[in-house]
Amino acid sequence: MASHSRAITLTSSQKMMIFVLSMSLYGLSNMFTELIPEFRIGPVELSVEYFAFIPLTLCMLFSPLHAAVGAALGEVIFGELMLGQFGGLGELEKFLTFSFAMYVAGRMVRDPLNRVQVGVAAIAGVIIHQACSSLIDIGKVWVGVDDFDTIPGLAESVVVVEGFSFLNDVLFSGILFALLPTAYLVPRLYGKIEPLLGIRPRGKAAYEAGGVSAKIVATGILLAVVSFGAAALSKTDWNFAEWDSGFEDRFGTGAIWISIAAAALVALVVLAFFRMRKNRGPQAEAPGESPYV
Amino acid sequence: MQLVRNWFSRISLERIQLELMNTAYGSGHASLSRLDPRCLLLWYLFFAIVPWFLSSFVVLAGLFLLTAATTVLSRVTPFVIVVLCLGLIGQVGWLFVLSLFFGGDVGSALPLLKLTLKLSVVSLASITVFSGMDPEKISDGLLALGLPASISFSLSYGYRILPVLFEEFRNVLLSYRLRGQSPERPGFLYWRMAAYYLKLLTMAFFPLMLATAKRSRTTVEALETRGFSYGMRNPASKKLKLSHLRVAARDIAFLSGTAAYVALLFWIG
Repeated sequence: MASHSRAITLTSSQKMMIFVLSMSLYGLSNMFTELIPEFRIGPVELSVEYFAFIPLTLCMLFSPLHAAVGAALGEVIFGELMLGQFGGLGELEKFLTFSFAMYVAGRMVRDPLNRVQVGVAAIAGVIIHQACSSLIDIGKVWVGVDDFDTIPGLAESVVVVEGFSFLNDVLFSGILFALLPTAYLVPRLYGKIEPLLGIRPRGKAAYEAGGVSAKIVATGILLAVVSFGAAALSKTDWNFAEWDSGFEDRFGTGAIWISIAAAALVALVVLAFFRMRKNRGPQAEAPGESPYV
Repeated sequence: MQLVRNWFSRISLERIQLELMNTAYGSGHASLSRLDPRCLLLWYLFFAIVPWFLSSFVVLAGLFLLTAATTVLSRVTPFVIVVLCLGLIGQVGWLFVLSLFFGGDVGSALPLLKLTLKLSVVSLASITVFSGMDPEKISDGLLALGLPASISFSLSYGYRILPVLFEEFRNVLLSYRLRGQSPERPGFLYWRMAAYYLKLLTMAFFPLMLATAKRSRTTVEALETRGFSYGMRNPASKKLKLSHLRVAARDIAFLSGTAAYVALLFWIG
Protein backbone atom coordinates (compact mmCIF):
# COMPACT_ATOMS: atom_id res chain seq x y z
CA MET A 1 0.00 0.00 0.00
CA ALA A 2 1.47 3.29 -1.03
CA SER A 3 1.41 5.50 1.99
CA HIS A 4 4.02 7.96 0.83
CA SER A 5 2.50 11.18 -0.33
CA ARG A 6 3.47 11.04 -3.97
CA ALA A 7 0.73 11.99 -6.40
CA ILE A 8 -0.89 9.00 -8.06
CA THR A 9 -1.21 8.97 -11.81
CA LEU A 10 -3.94 6.99 -13.51
CA THR A 11 -4.09 5.58 -17.01
CA SER A 12 -6.81 6.89 -19.26
CA SER A 13 -8.76 3.61 -18.99
CA GLN A 14 -8.79 3.86 -15.23
CA LYS A 15 -10.06 7.41 -15.46
CA MET A 16 -12.80 6.25 -17.79
CA MET A 17 -13.73 3.45 -15.37
CA ILE A 18 -14.10 5.91 -12.49
CA PHE A 19 -16.11 8.17 -14.75
CA VAL A 20 -18.49 5.42 -15.87
CA LEU A 21 -18.87 4.02 -12.36
CA SER A 22 -19.71 7.37 -10.86
CA MET A 23 -22.04 8.29 -13.71
CA SER A 24 -24.14 5.15 -13.66
CA LEU A 25 -24.42 4.82 -9.89
CA TYR A 26 -25.24 8.40 -9.13
CA GLY A 27 -27.51 8.56 -12.15
CA LEU A 28 -29.54 5.62 -10.89
CA SER A 29 -29.84 7.11 -7.43
CA ASN A 30 -30.84 10.43 -8.94
CA MET A 31 -33.68 8.76 -10.74
CA PHE A 32 -35.05 7.57 -7.42
CA THR A 33 -34.63 10.84 -5.62
CA GLU A 34 -36.47 12.59 -8.44
CA LEU A 35 -39.37 10.22 -7.91
CA ILE A 36 -39.57 10.18 -4.11
CA PRO A 37 -42.40 12.48 -3.09
CA GLU A 38 -41.67 15.37 -0.78
CA PHE A 39 -43.14 15.67 2.64
CA ARG A 40 -44.23 19.16 3.54
CA ILE A 41 -45.36 20.80 6.75
CA GLY A 42 -46.17 24.35 5.80
CA PRO A 43 -43.10 25.87 4.22
CA VAL A 44 -40.81 23.29 5.80
CA GLU A 45 -40.30 20.44 3.42
CA LEU A 46 -38.56 17.22 4.19
CA SER A 47 -37.39 16.05 0.82
CA VAL A 48 -34.64 13.73 -0.16
CA GLU A 49 -32.64 16.09 -2.29
CA TYR A 50 -29.98 13.67 -3.47
CA PHE A 51 -27.98 10.67 -2.43
CA ALA A 52 -24.82 12.71 -2.11
CA PHE A 53 -23.00 9.88 -0.41
CA ILE A 54 -22.41 8.13 -3.73
CA PRO A 55 -20.33 10.82 -5.45
CA LEU A 56 -18.78 11.80 -2.11
CA THR A 57 -17.59 8.27 -1.42
CA LEU A 58 -16.23 7.85 -4.93
CA CYS A 59 -14.52 11.25 -4.84
CA MET A 60 -12.79 10.34 -1.60
CA LEU A 61 -11.65 6.91 -2.73
CA PHE A 62 -10.75 7.66 -6.32
CA SER A 63 -9.60 10.56 -8.40
CA PRO A 64 -11.99 13.36 -7.34
CA LEU A 65 -12.11 15.14 -10.67
CA HIS A 66 -13.34 12.19 -12.70
CA ALA A 67 -15.74 10.97 -10.06
CA ALA A 68 -17.22 14.46 -9.64
CA VAL A 69 -17.67 15.18 -13.34
CA GLY A 70 -19.03 11.68 -13.92
CA ALA A 71 -21.62 12.11 -11.18
CA ALA A 72 -22.73 15.47 -12.52
CA LEU A 73 -23.11 14.01 -16.00
CA GLY A 74 -25.00 11.05 -14.57
CA GLU A 75 -27.45 13.43 -13.00
CA VAL A 76 -28.02 15.18 -16.32
CA ILE A 77 -28.48 11.93 -18.24
CA PHE A 78 -30.55 9.82 -15.85
CA GLY A 79 -32.30 12.43 -13.76
CA GLU A 80 -32.97 15.03 -16.44
CA LEU A 81 -32.81 13.74 -19.97
CA MET A 82 -34.46 10.38 -19.38
CA LEU A 83 -37.24 11.82 -17.25
CA GLY A 84 -37.75 14.71 -19.63
CA GLN A 85 -36.78 17.38 -17.14
CA PHE A 86 -33.85 18.79 -18.99
CA GLY A 87 -34.01 22.54 -18.59
CA GLY A 88 -31.47 23.48 -21.25
CA LEU A 89 -29.00 26.23 -20.44
CA GLY A 90 -29.84 26.52 -16.75
CA GLU A 91 -28.52 23.01 -16.15
CA LEU A 92 -25.00 24.21 -16.83
CA GLU A 93 -24.91 26.05 -13.52
CA LYS A 94 -26.12 22.96 -11.64
CA PHE A 95 -23.51 20.83 -13.36
CA LEU A 96 -20.69 23.21 -12.44
CA THR A 97 -21.64 23.83 -8.81
CA PHE A 98 -22.24 20.15 -8.15
CA SER A 99 -19.01 18.89 -9.65
CA PHE A 100 -17.07 21.70 -7.98
CA ALA A 101 -18.47 20.89 -4.52
CA MET A 102 -17.88 17.17 -4.87
CA TYR A 103 -14.36 17.78 -6.13
CA VAL A 104 -13.52 20.01 -3.17
CA ALA A 105 -14.94 17.46 -0.73
CA GLY A 106 -12.86 14.73 -2.32
CA ARG A 107 -9.70 16.82 -2.13
CA MET A 108 -10.31 17.58 1.56
CA VAL A 109 -9.78 13.99 2.60
CA ARG A 110 -6.16 13.05 3.27
CA ASP A 111 -6.76 9.77 5.07
CA PRO A 112 -9.82 7.75 3.98
CA LEU A 113 -9.67 5.65 7.15
CA ASN A 114 -10.20 8.68 9.38
CA ARG A 115 -13.95 8.84 9.95
CA VAL A 116 -13.94 12.35 11.39
CA GLN A 117 -12.11 13.75 8.39
CA VAL A 118 -14.42 11.91 6.00
CA GLY A 119 -17.51 13.16 7.81
CA VAL A 120 -16.33 16.77 7.89
CA ALA A 121 -15.47 16.67 4.20
CA ALA A 122 -18.85 15.11 3.35
CA ILE A 123 -20.91 17.74 5.12
CA ALA A 124 -18.63 20.47 3.78
CA GLY A 125 -19.28 19.26 0.25
CA VAL A 126 -23.03 19.45 0.77
CA ILE A 127 -22.82 22.90 2.37
CA ILE A 128 -20.66 24.25 -0.47
CA HIS A 129 -23.05 22.92 -3.09
CA GLN A 130 -26.22 24.09 -1.40
CA ALA A 131 -24.80 27.52 -0.51
CA CYS A 132 -23.66 28.08 -4.09
CA SER A 133 -26.95 27.03 -5.62
CA SER A 134 -29.10 28.98 -3.13
CA LEU A 135 -27.07 32.14 -3.70
CA ILE A 136 -27.29 31.71 -7.45
CA ASP A 137 -31.04 31.17 -7.27
CA ILE A 138 -31.58 34.27 -5.16
CA GLY A 139 -29.21 36.21 -7.40
CA LYS A 140 -31.13 35.19 -10.50
CA VAL A 141 -34.30 36.76 -9.20
CA TRP A 142 -32.53 39.89 -7.94
CA VAL A 143 -30.79 40.39 -11.26
CA GLY A 144 -33.72 39.40 -13.38
CA VAL A 145 -36.29 41.65 -11.78
CA ASP A 146 -35.89 45.39 -12.08
CA ASP A 147 -38.76 46.57 -9.94
CA PHE A 148 -38.31 44.12 -7.13
CA ASP A 149 -40.35 46.13 -4.64
CA THR A 150 -43.43 46.68 -6.76
CA ILE A 151 -44.33 43.01 -6.73
CA PRO A 152 -45.84 42.18 -3.37
CA GLY A 153 -44.26 39.28 -1.56
CA LEU A 154 -41.76 38.30 -4.21
CA ALA A 155 -38.55 39.17 -2.41
CA GLU A 156 -39.62 37.56 0.83
CA SER A 157 -40.97 34.44 -0.80
CA VAL A 158 -37.81 33.87 -2.80
CA VAL A 159 -35.53 34.29 0.20
CA VAL A 160 -37.79 32.14 2.37
CA VAL A 161 -38.04 29.38 -0.24
CA GLU A 162 -34.31 29.34 -0.76
CA GLY A 163 -33.48 29.57 2.93
CA PHE A 164 -35.74 26.71 3.86
CA SER A 165 -34.52 24.54 1.05
CA PHE A 166 -30.94 25.26 2.08
CA LEU A 167 -31.66 24.28 5.68
CA ASN A 168 -33.61 21.21 4.63
CA ASP A 169 -30.93 20.06 2.26
CA VAL A 170 -28.11 20.51 4.72
CA LEU A 171 -29.82 19.30 7.88
CA PHE A 172 -32.02 16.56 6.52
CA SER A 173 -30.51 15.29 3.27
CA GLY A 174 -27.02 16.39 4.25
CA ILE A 175 -26.87 14.45 7.49
CA LEU A 176 -28.98 11.43 6.60
CA PHE A 177 -27.87 10.90 3.02
CA ALA A 178 -24.39 12.39 2.94
CA LEU A 179 -22.70 12.50 6.32
CA LEU A 180 -23.75 9.19 7.87
CA PRO A 181 -23.50 6.86 4.85
CA THR A 182 -20.22 8.40 3.68
CA ALA A 183 -18.57 8.13 7.09
CA TYR A 184 -19.75 4.52 7.24
CA LEU A 185 -18.85 3.54 3.71
CA VAL A 186 -15.51 5.15 2.94
CA PRO A 187 -13.41 3.32 5.55
CA ARG A 188 -15.20 0.06 4.73
CA LEU A 189 -14.90 0.24 0.97
CA TYR A 190 -11.32 1.45 1.17
CA GLY A 191 -9.00 -1.25 -0.12
CA LYS A 192 -11.91 -3.35 -1.41
CA ILE A 193 -13.41 -1.37 -4.26
CA GLU A 194 -10.14 -0.16 -5.79
CA PRO A 195 -8.86 -3.59 -6.87
CA LEU A 196 -12.10 -4.13 -8.80
CA LEU A 197 -11.03 -1.29 -11.07
CA GLY A 198 -7.44 -2.40 -11.11
CA ILE A 199 -6.33 0.62 -9.09
CA ARG A 200 -4.04 0.62 -6.10
CA PRO A 201 -5.67 1.97 -2.90
CA ARG A 202 -4.71 5.58 -2.54
CA GLY A 203 -3.21 5.42 0.97
CA LYS A 204 -2.46 8.91 2.18
CA ALA A 205 -1.31 9.99 -1.22
CA ALA A 206 -3.30 12.53 -3.11
CA TYR A 207 -4.45 11.95 -6.64
CA GLU A 208 -2.88 14.21 -9.15
CA ALA A 209 -5.09 17.17 -9.66
CA GLY A 210 -6.30 15.60 -12.87
CA GLY A 211 -4.99 18.27 -15.15
CA VAL A 212 -6.53 21.09 -13.15
CA SER A 213 -4.39 24.02 -14.16
CA ALA A 214 -4.87 27.74 -13.90
CA LYS A 215 -6.32 27.65 -17.41
CA ILE A 216 -9.05 25.19 -16.47
CA VAL A 217 -9.91 27.11 -13.32
CA ALA A 218 -10.17 30.32 -15.32
CA THR A 219 -12.36 28.61 -17.91
CA GLY A 220 -14.51 27.27 -15.11
CA ILE A 221 -15.01 30.70 -13.60
CA LEU A 222 -15.79 32.17 -17.00
CA LEU A 223 -18.28 29.38 -17.68
CA ALA A 224 -19.84 29.96 -14.28
CA VAL A 225 -20.33 33.63 -15.05
CA VAL A 226 -21.77 32.79 -18.46
CA SER A 227 -24.09 30.18 -17.02
CA PHE A 228 -25.17 32.59 -14.32
CA GLY A 229 -25.91 35.14 -16.99
CA ALA A 230 -27.78 32.58 -19.04
CA ALA A 231 -29.75 31.41 -16.06
CA ALA A 232 -30.55 34.96 -15.01
CA LEU A 233 -31.70 35.74 -18.53
CA SER A 234 -33.79 32.62 -18.73
CA LYS A 235 -35.42 33.31 -15.41
CA THR A 236 -36.34 36.88 -16.19
CA ASP A 237 -39.92 35.78 -16.35
CA TRP A 238 -39.97 35.27 -12.61
CA ASN A 239 -40.69 38.92 -12.47
CA PHE A 240 -44.39 38.51 -12.22
CA ALA A 241 -44.66 41.85 -13.96
CA GLU A 242 -43.37 41.91 -17.50
CA TRP A 243 -39.71 42.54 -17.87
CA ASP A 244 -39.78 42.81 -21.62
CA SER A 245 -42.99 44.81 -21.98
CA GLY A 246 -41.12 48.10 -22.25
CA PHE A 247 -39.06 46.53 -24.94
CA GLU A 248 -42.11 45.63 -26.89
CA ASP A 249 -43.59 49.12 -26.61
CA ARG A 250 -40.55 50.66 -28.16
CA PHE A 251 -39.99 48.22 -30.96
CA GLY A 252 -43.47 46.86 -31.47
CA THR A 253 -43.65 43.27 -32.50
CA GLY A 254 -40.14 43.58 -33.84
CA ALA A 255 -38.97 42.76 -30.34
CA ILE A 256 -39.93 39.16 -30.91
CA TRP A 257 -37.73 39.00 -33.97
CA ILE A 258 -34.89 40.55 -32.03
CA SER A 259 -35.19 37.90 -29.38
CA ILE A 260 -35.34 35.18 -32.00
CA ALA A 261 -32.28 36.60 -33.67
CA ALA A 262 -30.52 36.60 -30.31
CA ALA A 263 -31.45 32.97 -29.75
CA ALA A 264 -30.32 31.99 -33.23
CA LEU A 265 -27.06 33.83 -32.65
CA VAL A 266 -26.51 31.92 -29.41
CA ALA A 267 -27.20 28.65 -31.21
CA LEU A 268 -24.81 29.54 -34.02
CA VAL A 269 -22.06 30.55 -31.61
CA VAL A 270 -22.43 27.30 -29.70
CA LEU A 271 -22.33 25.29 -32.92
CA ALA A 272 -19.36 27.22 -34.27
CA PHE A 273 -17.56 26.69 -30.98
CA PHE A 274 -18.08 22.95 -31.11
CA ARG A 275 -17.09 22.71 -34.75
CA MET A 276 -13.98 24.72 -34.10
CA ARG A 277 -13.04 22.51 -31.21
CA LYS A 278 -13.75 19.43 -33.26
CA ASN A 279 -11.55 20.54 -36.13
CA ARG A 280 -8.80 21.70 -33.89
CA GLY A 281 -9.14 18.86 -31.39
CA PRO A 282 -6.76 16.15 -32.62
CA GLN A 283 -3.93 18.52 -33.45
CA ALA A 284 -4.17 20.62 -30.33
CA GLU A 285 -4.00 17.71 -27.92
CA ALA A 286 -0.58 16.52 -26.92
CA PRO A 287 0.00 13.00 -28.21
CA GLY A 288 -0.01 11.11 -24.92
CA GLU A 289 -2.82 13.05 -23.34
CA SER A 290 -5.96 11.36 -22.13
CA PRO A 291 -8.91 11.52 -24.47
CA TYR A 292 -11.35 11.63 -21.60
CA VAL A 293 -13.00 14.48 -19.79
CA MET B 1 -54.64 6.72 2.78
CA GLN B 2 -56.55 4.30 0.56
CA LEU B 3 -55.82 6.58 -2.34
CA VAL B 4 -52.12 6.58 -1.56
CA ARG B 5 -52.11 2.80 -1.34
CA ASN B 6 -53.83 2.46 -4.69
CA TRP B 7 -51.35 4.82 -6.20
CA PHE B 8 -48.42 2.89 -4.79
CA SER B 9 -49.76 -0.40 -6.10
CA ARG B 10 -49.86 1.14 -9.56
CA ILE B 11 -46.27 2.28 -9.54
CA SER B 12 -44.62 -0.91 -8.44
CA LEU B 13 -40.95 -1.28 -9.22
CA GLU B 14 -41.71 -3.91 -11.89
CA ARG B 15 -43.85 -1.49 -13.75
CA ILE B 16 -41.28 1.28 -13.62
CA GLN B 17 -38.68 -1.15 -14.88
CA LEU B 18 -40.88 -2.17 -17.78
CA GLU B 19 -41.45 1.45 -18.70
CA LEU B 20 -37.74 2.13 -18.56
CA MET B 21 -37.05 -0.82 -20.84
CA ASN B 22 -39.59 0.64 -23.21
CA THR B 23 -37.85 4.01 -23.07
CA ALA B 24 -34.47 2.48 -23.77
CA TYR B 25 -35.35 -0.05 -26.45
CA GLY B 26 -38.82 0.60 -27.72
CA SER B 27 -38.37 3.89 -29.50
CA GLY B 28 -37.26 2.65 -32.91
CA HIS B 29 -40.76 2.45 -34.29
CA ALA B 30 -41.83 6.02 -33.60
CA SER B 31 -42.20 8.10 -36.71
CA LEU B 32 -40.02 10.92 -35.41
CA SER B 33 -37.15 8.59 -34.66
CA ARG B 34 -36.48 8.13 -38.37
CA LEU B 35 -35.36 11.74 -38.66
CA ASP B 36 -31.74 12.71 -38.75
CA PRO B 37 -30.53 13.18 -35.14
CA ARG B 38 -28.55 16.31 -35.99
CA CYS B 39 -31.65 18.01 -37.35
CA LEU B 40 -33.67 16.97 -34.31
CA LEU B 41 -30.99 18.30 -31.98
CA LEU B 42 -30.97 21.64 -33.78
CA TRP B 43 -34.73 21.65 -33.59
CA TYR B 44 -34.46 20.99 -29.86
CA LEU B 45 -31.93 23.79 -29.42
CA PHE B 46 -34.50 26.23 -30.77
CA PHE B 47 -37.21 25.01 -28.39
CA ALA B 48 -34.85 24.96 -25.43
CA ILE B 49 -33.79 28.58 -25.81
CA VAL B 50 -36.47 30.62 -27.55
CA PRO B 51 -39.44 30.09 -25.17
CA TRP B 52 -37.56 31.83 -22.38
CA PHE B 53 -37.49 35.06 -24.38
CA LEU B 54 -41.16 35.09 -25.30
CA SER B 55 -43.98 36.72 -23.48
CA SER B 56 -46.91 36.38 -25.86
CA PHE B 57 -49.54 33.92 -24.70
CA VAL B 58 -50.60 32.98 -28.21
CA VAL B 59 -47.09 32.13 -29.34
CA LEU B 60 -46.36 30.15 -26.21
CA ALA B 61 -49.60 28.22 -26.46
CA GLY B 62 -48.90 27.49 -30.12
CA LEU B 63 -45.42 26.23 -29.31
CA PHE B 64 -46.92 24.14 -26.53
CA LEU B 65 -49.38 22.54 -28.95
CA LEU B 66 -46.59 21.76 -31.40
CA THR B 67 -44.32 20.16 -28.81
CA ALA B 68 -47.27 18.24 -27.35
CA ALA B 69 -48.00 16.89 -30.82
CA THR B 70 -44.40 15.83 -31.38
CA THR B 71 -44.38 14.21 -27.95
CA VAL B 72 -47.40 12.15 -28.93
CA LEU B 73 -45.71 11.28 -32.23
CA SER B 74 -42.59 10.08 -30.49
CA ARG B 75 -44.65 7.61 -28.40
CA VAL B 76 -43.24 8.43 -25.02
CA THR B 77 -44.19 6.14 -22.16
CA PRO B 78 -46.90 7.48 -19.83
CA PHE B 79 -44.50 7.16 -16.92
CA VAL B 80 -42.33 9.97 -18.26
CA ILE B 81 -45.36 12.19 -18.74
CA VAL B 82 -46.55 11.60 -15.17
CA VAL B 83 -43.13 12.53 -13.85
CA LEU B 84 -43.15 15.67 -15.95
CA CYS B 85 -46.55 16.76 -14.65
CA LEU B 86 -45.61 16.13 -11.04
CA GLY B 87 -42.44 18.14 -11.52
CA LEU B 88 -44.26 21.08 -13.07
CA ILE B 89 -46.91 21.18 -10.37
CA GLY B 90 -44.28 20.99 -7.67
CA GLN B 91 -42.16 23.70 -9.21
CA VAL B 92 -44.78 26.28 -9.97
CA GLY B 93 -47.66 25.53 -7.60
CA TRP B 94 -45.56 26.08 -4.54
CA LEU B 95 -44.30 29.48 -5.66
CA PHE B 96 -47.89 30.52 -6.25
CA VAL B 97 -49.00 29.47 -2.76
CA LEU B 98 -46.10 31.31 -1.18
CA SER B 99 -46.66 34.52 -3.09
CA LEU B 100 -50.33 34.39 -2.01
CA PHE B 101 -49.13 34.01 1.55
CA PHE B 102 -46.95 37.10 1.32
CA GLY B 103 -49.73 39.29 0.02
CA GLY B 104 -49.90 38.61 -3.67
CA ASP B 105 -53.29 37.91 -5.22
CA VAL B 106 -54.82 35.63 -7.80
CA GLY B 107 -53.49 37.99 -10.44
CA SER B 108 -50.06 36.52 -9.92
CA ALA B 109 -51.39 33.20 -11.23
CA LEU B 110 -51.38 34.50 -14.80
CA PRO B 111 -47.62 35.09 -15.08
CA LEU B 112 -47.14 31.79 -13.31
CA LEU B 113 -49.26 30.09 -15.95
CA LYS B 114 -46.96 31.63 -18.52
CA LEU B 115 -43.96 30.27 -16.65
CA THR B 116 -45.60 26.84 -16.62
CA LEU B 117 -46.15 27.05 -20.38
CA LYS B 118 -42.52 27.92 -20.96
CA LEU B 119 -41.29 25.14 -18.72
CA SER B 120 -43.55 22.62 -20.40
CA VAL B 121 -42.52 23.65 -23.91
CA VAL B 122 -38.87 23.15 -22.99
CA SER B 123 -39.55 19.86 -21.22
CA LEU B 124 -41.78 18.44 -23.93
CA ALA B 125 -39.20 19.27 -26.57
CA SER B 126 -36.53 17.49 -24.57
CA ILE B 127 -38.83 14.49 -24.07
CA THR B 128 -39.51 14.37 -27.80
CA VAL B 129 -35.86 14.32 -28.67
CA PHE B 130 -34.28 12.38 -25.85
CA SER B 131 -36.97 9.85 -24.98
CA GLY B 132 -38.37 9.39 -28.45
CA MET B 133 -35.16 8.67 -30.27
CA ASP B 134 -32.91 5.68 -30.29
CA PRO B 135 -30.08 6.33 -27.77
CA GLU B 136 -27.44 5.41 -30.33
CA LYS B 137 -28.83 7.94 -32.75
CA ILE B 138 -28.80 10.73 -30.19
CA SER B 139 -25.28 9.81 -29.24
CA ASP B 140 -24.14 9.85 -32.89
CA GLY B 141 -25.89 13.16 -33.39
CA LEU B 142 -24.13 14.70 -30.42
CA LEU B 143 -20.82 13.34 -31.63
CA ALA B 144 -21.45 14.80 -35.06
CA LEU B 145 -22.17 18.19 -33.50
CA GLY B 146 -18.76 18.01 -31.85
CA LEU B 147 -19.37 16.94 -28.27
CA PRO B 148 -16.57 14.88 -26.64
CA ALA B 149 -16.80 11.15 -27.31
CA SER B 150 -16.94 10.29 -23.62
CA ILE B 151 -20.13 12.33 -23.18
CA SER B 152 -21.92 10.93 -26.20
CA PHE B 153 -20.86 7.43 -25.18
CA SER B 154 -22.12 7.98 -21.64
CA LEU B 155 -25.50 8.99 -22.96
CA SER B 156 -26.13 5.84 -24.97
CA TYR B 157 -24.51 3.71 -22.27
CA GLY B 158 -26.79 5.26 -19.68
CA TYR B 159 -29.91 4.37 -21.62
CA ARG B 160 -28.73 0.82 -22.26
CA ILE B 161 -27.41 0.04 -18.80
CA LEU B 162 -30.32 1.48 -16.86
CA PRO B 163 -32.65 -1.56 -17.08
CA VAL B 164 -29.78 -3.85 -16.05
CA LEU B 165 -28.81 -1.65 -13.14
CA PHE B 166 -32.42 -1.34 -12.14
CA GLU B 167 -32.90 -5.11 -12.13
CA GLU B 168 -29.82 -5.54 -9.98
CA PHE B 169 -30.94 -2.81 -7.61
CA ARG B 170 -34.33 -4.43 -7.27
CA ASN B 171 -32.79 -7.78 -6.43
CA VAL B 172 -30.66 -6.24 -3.71
CA LEU B 173 -33.65 -4.38 -2.35
CA LEU B 174 -35.78 -7.53 -2.32
CA SER B 175 -33.13 -9.53 -0.53
CA TYR B 176 -32.85 -6.83 2.11
CA ARG B 177 -36.60 -6.90 2.54
CA LEU B 178 -36.63 -10.68 2.84
CA ARG B 179 -34.01 -10.65 5.53
CA GLY B 180 -35.17 -7.59 7.40
CA GLN B 181 -38.32 -6.90 9.33
CA SER B 182 -40.61 -4.11 8.31
CA PRO B 183 -42.10 -1.97 11.07
CA GLU B 184 -45.15 -3.49 12.74
CA ARG B 185 -47.14 -0.29 12.88
CA PRO B 186 -46.99 2.26 10.08
CA GLY B 187 -46.81 5.13 12.55
CA PHE B 188 -48.25 8.62 12.22
CA LEU B 189 -48.56 9.52 8.50
CA TYR B 190 -46.69 6.31 7.68
CA TRP B 191 -43.45 7.85 8.89
CA ARG B 192 -42.10 4.54 10.16
CA MET B 193 -42.66 2.97 6.76
CA ALA B 194 -41.08 5.94 5.01
CA ALA B 195 -38.02 5.82 7.26
CA TYR B 196 -37.72 2.06 6.78
CA TYR B 197 -37.87 2.27 3.00
CA LEU B 198 -35.50 5.22 2.82
CA LYS B 199 -32.99 3.30 4.90
CA LEU B 200 -33.35 0.26 2.65
CA LEU B 201 -33.01 2.43 -0.44
CA THR B 202 -29.77 3.88 0.89
CA MET B 203 -28.36 0.58 2.03
CA ALA B 204 -29.15 -1.14 -1.24
CA PHE B 205 -26.57 1.08 -2.90
CA PHE B 206 -23.74 -0.27 -0.77
CA PRO B 207 -23.42 -3.67 -2.48
CA LEU B 208 -24.38 -2.07 -5.77
CA MET B 209 -21.26 0.07 -5.61
CA LEU B 210 -19.02 -2.99 -5.75
CA ALA B 211 -21.08 -4.66 -8.45
CA THR B 212 -21.11 -1.53 -10.60
CA ALA B 213 -17.38 -1.12 -10.14
CA LYS B 214 -16.88 -4.57 -11.67
CA ARG B 215 -19.29 -3.79 -14.46
CA SER B 216 -17.66 -0.49 -15.35
CA ARG B 217 -14.30 -2.22 -15.55
CA THR B 218 -15.75 -4.77 -17.95
CA THR B 219 -17.32 -1.99 -19.98
CA VAL B 220 -14.13 0.00 -20.32
CA GLU B 221 -12.12 -3.11 -21.16
CA ALA B 222 -14.61 -3.97 -23.88
CA LEU B 223 -14.43 -0.39 -25.16
CA GLU B 224 -10.66 -0.42 -25.27
CA THR B 225 -10.63 -3.76 -27.05
CA ARG B 226 -12.53 -2.04 -29.81
CA GLY B 227 -10.12 0.87 -29.75
CA PHE B 228 -12.55 3.40 -28.35
CA SER B 229 -10.25 6.06 -26.97
CA TYR B 230 -7.81 6.13 -29.85
CA GLY B 231 -10.41 5.57 -32.54
CA MET B 232 -12.46 8.52 -31.39
CA ARG B 233 -9.47 10.79 -31.56
CA ASN B 234 -8.77 9.81 -35.10
CA PRO B 235 -10.77 12.01 -37.48
CA ALA B 236 -10.93 9.32 -40.15
CA SER B 237 -12.51 6.72 -37.87
CA LYS B 238 -14.93 9.26 -36.48
CA LYS B 239 -15.97 10.13 -40.00
CA LEU B 240 -16.50 6.46 -40.78
CA LYS B 241 -18.62 6.02 -37.67
CA LEU B 242 -20.79 8.98 -38.52
CA SER B 243 -21.03 8.30 -42.25
CA HIS B 244 -24.51 6.80 -41.92
CA LEU B 245 -25.97 10.17 -40.94
CA ARG B 246 -27.72 11.73 -43.89
CA VAL B 247 -29.99 14.71 -44.15
CA ALA B 248 -32.93 13.46 -46.20
CA ALA B 249 -35.89 15.25 -47.71
CA ARG B 250 -38.11 14.45 -44.73
CA ASP B 251 -35.66 16.17 -42.39
CA ILE B 252 -35.76 19.32 -44.47
CA ALA B 253 -39.54 19.08 -44.63
CA PHE B 254 -39.75 18.67 -40.87
CA LEU B 255 -37.50 21.63 -40.14
CA SER B 256 -39.08 23.95 -42.68
CA GLY B 257 -42.56 22.90 -41.57
CA THR B 258 -41.70 23.82 -38.02
CA ALA B 259 -40.16 27.11 -39.16
CA ALA B 260 -43.27 28.00 -41.15
CA TYR B 261 -45.54 27.15 -38.23
CA VAL B 262 -43.47 29.22 -35.82
CA ALA B 263 -43.36 32.16 -38.21
CA LEU B 264 -47.14 31.96 -38.53
CA LEU B 265 -47.45 31.99 -34.75
CA PHE B 266 -45.31 35.09 -34.47
CA TRP B 267 -47.30 36.76 -37.18
CA ILE B 268 -50.53 36.07 -35.29
CA GLY B 269 -49.25 36.74 -31.78
